[in-house]
Amino acid sequence: MTAPAAPPTLYSVRPEWADVTPVVQYEKANPLAPIVYTEEYKDATDYLRAVVKSGEKSERVLKLTEHVIRLNPAHYSAWWQYRYETVVALSWPLDVEMTLMDELADKYLKTYQVWHHRRLILLLPGAGAGRAAQELTYIANMLQTDEKNYHTWAHRQWLLAFHNDDALWAGELDFVDTMLNRDLRNNSAWHHRFFVVFQSGVRAGEEDRQRIIHRELMCVCHVKQHISLAPNNASAWNYLRGVLEFNKLPLSNVATFVKPYTVPLPDGAKDVVDLENPPPGQGAELPCVAAIEFLADVYEEEGGESTHMAVELWKSLGDEHDTIRKKYWEYRILQARSV
Amino acid sequence: MDDPLPPLFRDAHILHAKQALARLPGCLVEVDASRMLIIFYCVGIFDLLGVLEQQTNEMDRKSWQNWIWEQHTVGEYGTGFKPGPFMSRTLSHWDQESPHLIMTYGALMSLAILRDDFSRLNRAGLQHFVGSCQNHNGSFSSMPNGGGESDLRNLYCAFCICALLGDWSSIDVERAIAFVALCRTYEGGYGQLPGCEAQGGTTYLAIAALHLAPPGPRPRLTPADRARSEHWLVHNQDASGGFRGRTGKAPDTCYCFWGGAALQILGAQDKIDAYAFTQFIAGSQFPFGGISKAAGQLPDPYHTYLSLAAASLYTPRLPSSVKGYGWEFAPFDPLLNAREETVRWARSFIPAQRGRQMV
Repeated sequence: MTAPAAPPTLYSVRPEWADVTPVVQYEKANPLAPIVYTEEYKDATDYLRAVVKSGEKSERVLKLTEHVIRLNPAHYSAWWQYRYETVVALSWPLDVEMTLMDELADKYLKTYQVWHHRRLILLLPGAGAGRAAQELTYIANMLQTDEKNYHTWAHRQWLLAFHNDDALWAGELDFVDTMLNRDLRNNSAWHHRFFVVFQSGVRAGEEDRQRIIHRELMCVCHVKQHISLAPNNASAWNYLRGVLEFNKLPLSNVATFVKPYTVPLPDGAKDVVDLENPPPGQGAELPCVAAIEFLADVYEEEGGESTHMAVELWKSLGDEHDTIRKKYWEYRILQARSV
Repeated sequence: MDDPLPPLFRDAHILHAKQALARLPGCLVEVDASRMLIIFYCVGIFDLLGVLEQQTNEMDRKSWQNWIWEQHTVGEYGTGFKPGPFMSRTLSHWDQESPHLIMTYGALMSLAILRDDFSRLNRAGLQHFVGSCQNHNGSFSSMPNGGGESDLRNLYCAFCICALLGDWSSIDVERAIAFVALCRTYEGGYGQLPGCEAQGGTTYLAIAALHLAPPGPRPRLTPADRARSEHWLVHNQDASGGFRGRTGKAPDTCYCFWGGAALQILGAQDKIDAYAFTQFIAGSQFPFGGISKAAGQLPDPYHTYLSLAAASLYTPRLPSSVKGYGWEFAPFDPLLNAREETVRWARSFIPAQRGRQMV
């Protein structure tokens, strides 16, 4: 651990920094929204400005930038303009830097700069291709504590797309399943699944039409199972729509599956094993708003006489099941009638 | 059936902005490198409440303008604004500190709110700077030559600056638009970068950027894309009236702005429940000043400004049966995120070709 112990010794009294003249922050008499800096921050940044001025790049500068970053992880000059440049200039061992980054990312999970620096380090020639697999494991661990952290997921998506290596992609669907098993309403995990299956995760050779259709059906089947476990899950319904729309399949493909979710759960419903159309589980809260909306879209797509049925469903959403969106449902009714 | 709205605590919110402009506590040190934005939110709070002239005197406003101009910096790759003097050694307009794209947007808008005449603006330098922040893939970085993060926040700010200058010649618009398209997701929103999950803030930035851009060879959004975006945005309104930023997350006043303004840009402002929307914001007010992300949380200038901006957009749409004390605002421009009058000032004084009319 290189974290300074409390109370910190100011740089101004450290003998090893005696050769440096601190540079105070320039601010005129009438500052706007001035921050009441702590002595520790003022002192550390006085020395940061001094080394930036002299251009010193040394091990002690790495310690100094680390100190400033711990006090203010959003200090982009300490990160990008100085720590990164010093790491490069010194050919600093990247595994040492990454060990520190592991700790800092954990601490300052929501700071842009933490992730940006991490990416820059991974892009350095010395980082090695083998590092990527290790990085995936690290990200997976980070997502155990904060399952929806935007930066963490974004980093994983960048890493996969950047390396675009079959070996890295190979475990992604299993990883998504692990995340969805923990929380099947985790939209970040659903999004990642889409990213893997239909976007960057599409592997060479998979453009083959038969294989694509097979994969789509697998996905539709997968999402149906999840909906049957927890029907009121907007993420799963969005994903189902996404799969169908992306592949230009009509929504009516899944109408048979959707219908039982649009009505109250029948009394004495038995567990039926139907892999194609898994029914709602016992105790499911029905009718499900997303299912009603989906079915209305199926009817709207059919047009003609079916439009009337769509309108009835939208009315029930606006008047009873989804009143917060009443205006939206009224708009849909108006639009369908004007066609 | 509609209950009256709780009053808007105008005086308390004014105090919140005043206190932040006077001093920020040491625990907020993380804003050291984005101070300009805090200033934009604070002077913006005065502007949205229509009290700038009443609450500040000419001397204050001149002094604030001067402070902002002290952050106007000329570098190797052009001219712009830095977030504050956190790395400054002297008052030098030519130093190693690069301007920052997001802070430059914040500074220009703050100066417009303060009715600066922009006579000190180096326009050619500003264009050079914005151009040098664009990356090969069409995206923008915060600083020239790929410095700092690159994501939709920077692209939106670059577009705002070009729109204010009335000159897009320093950037490759079509390439930037292609980058925006890559950020779109199956849900109908946009992620921060290609491959990322749809998020309310970045969706606003993308949709606003597409509408700020000059017309291109094709429509910026197909009717189907619009309908899908509208669908996702409308579904982000929670039963409480507040907006969430992502599917399945909790509502937050800042997403009331990002989602509400995106819908307004799309012309879909009448498709949400404006009353519940305003109730959520009203309920997130801190009685002693400022607005929080949700009831029971601590307020800050960011959530306060965006909540007032969101209210500016939607309170005119409230049913006449709803009476609320203090919820009256001047017209607001959802594309540039400021009062219409401020945007008119900016568009009149910032362009290089000064066809200045009296505002």
